[in-house]
Amino acid sequence: MRDLHALKSLALTHPRVRHWHRREARFVGLVALTALVIALQLSEGLRMAGREGTGWRTVDTAAIQRGIDAGDLRDREADWYHPATPVERKQVVEGP
Amino acid sequence: MTAVACELCPRRCVIPEGGAGDCRIRVNLGGKLRATTYGRPSAIHIDPMEKKPLFHFHPGTSVFSIATAGCNLHCLNCQNWQLSQRGGEEMEQIYRADPPEVVKAAKEQGCKSLAYTYSDPVVFYEYVYDTSAIARRAGLNNTYHTAGYINPKPLRRLCKLLDASNTDLKAFDDGFYRRVTGATLQPVLDALVTLREEGVWLEVTNLLIPTLNDDLAMIRRMATWMRDELGADTPLHLSRFQPQYRMRNLPPTPVEALDRARREALDAGLRYVYIGNVPGHEANSTYCPTDGTLLIRRVGFMVVENKLTADGRCPTCNQTIPGVWK
Repeated sequence: MRDLHALKSLALTHPRVRHWHRREARFVGLVALTALVIALQLSEGLRMAGREGTGWRTVDTAAIQRGIDAGDLRDREADWYHPATPVERKQVVEGP
Repeated sequence: MTAVACELCPRRCVIPEGGAGDCRIRVNLGGKLRATTYGRPSAIHIDPMEKKPLFHFHPGTSVFSIATAGCNLHCLNCQNWQLSQRGGEEMEQIYRADPPEVVKAAKEQGCKSLAYTYSDPVVFYEYVYDTSAIARRAGLNNTYHTAGYINPKPLRRLCKLLDASNTDLKAFDDGFYRRVTGATLQPVLDALVTLREEGVWLEVTNLLIPTLNDDLAMIRRMATWMRDELGADTPLHLSRFQPQYRMRNLPPTPVEALDRARREALDAGLRYVYIGNVPGHEANSTYCPTDGTLLIRRVGFMVVENKLTADGRCPTCNQTIPGVWK
């Protein structure tokens, strides 16, 4: 009984619970958006880091062809390769 | 889609049309793999042989050094990343130097040797091979500074034309290789053994990075492996790390750590252990392993004194010092 009385008196004397204001919601939204952007950046970085050393890279073939046409690069056929076998072809991971 | 499978390095990239290998410069155009930087180096310099570093191979001579863009490793601490981590089409500076022109230029500059270096010559293999063949006929030496991440067959073929190689052994730990370089350890060990078997003069460089590969027990295992598999006379260069590229969070290697590592490698039985990237350090120089006589005194990359006899012996005790001296 004494506890109930104490609770009542606490409820009367304690300031009312504050409700969310619009500006606070905006602030939380901004924090969430920032966190999302950071997460996207990190996941993109991890994805690119994961691509390194996984077999092949996407390159700007138009720029390479321009370099070859201009004589800055060469189209000398490489040694040490063969047409991919069907099994090897399966390993090709599509680029981004 | 005509995909091709590259056989050059242990990555064995399977490359679809319009793609490049992991090295960025071997490109599948029209179903054929193209060596796009063949005859198109982006770095040409004349260096002292000691810069490679090769300390037991024609000391004090100049070496005509070339490199193209591209690399099959992606070391977080790469000191040549502007060259190695780019494709040919991304380079601002490209020289047109086909193999005969390289050899001609080297001779005109009075160089007795060529070096394929800076990035990793594995990835511009065809250029190295053709240039080496012409250089050999012209009486020049071919030297190679590589991470050794190459398959055995292409390496054995190239070895017939190579005179010397400084090969990096970046750590004696596969986890380090995977985390820091994107490669693996075993193919590098295999390449070192192949170079030794093929009679190429071999020196090894180990860049000591604080906290990552400076554990003395690891140094001991590496040196023991070198002694057993490559021979106790194989020079080891323990090199000082400087923070750069994507590894700026670690300090330069303390000189004391290099000294401790050198002591460990000598205790394991290696006879020639040098300290690199610390100008003026006494371990830049070559000493007779028998009586401690100072044989070749170096300051930085300069040979300031060479007391070896004409046939490569210690003048005090007549001990033969392994190397290619003339």
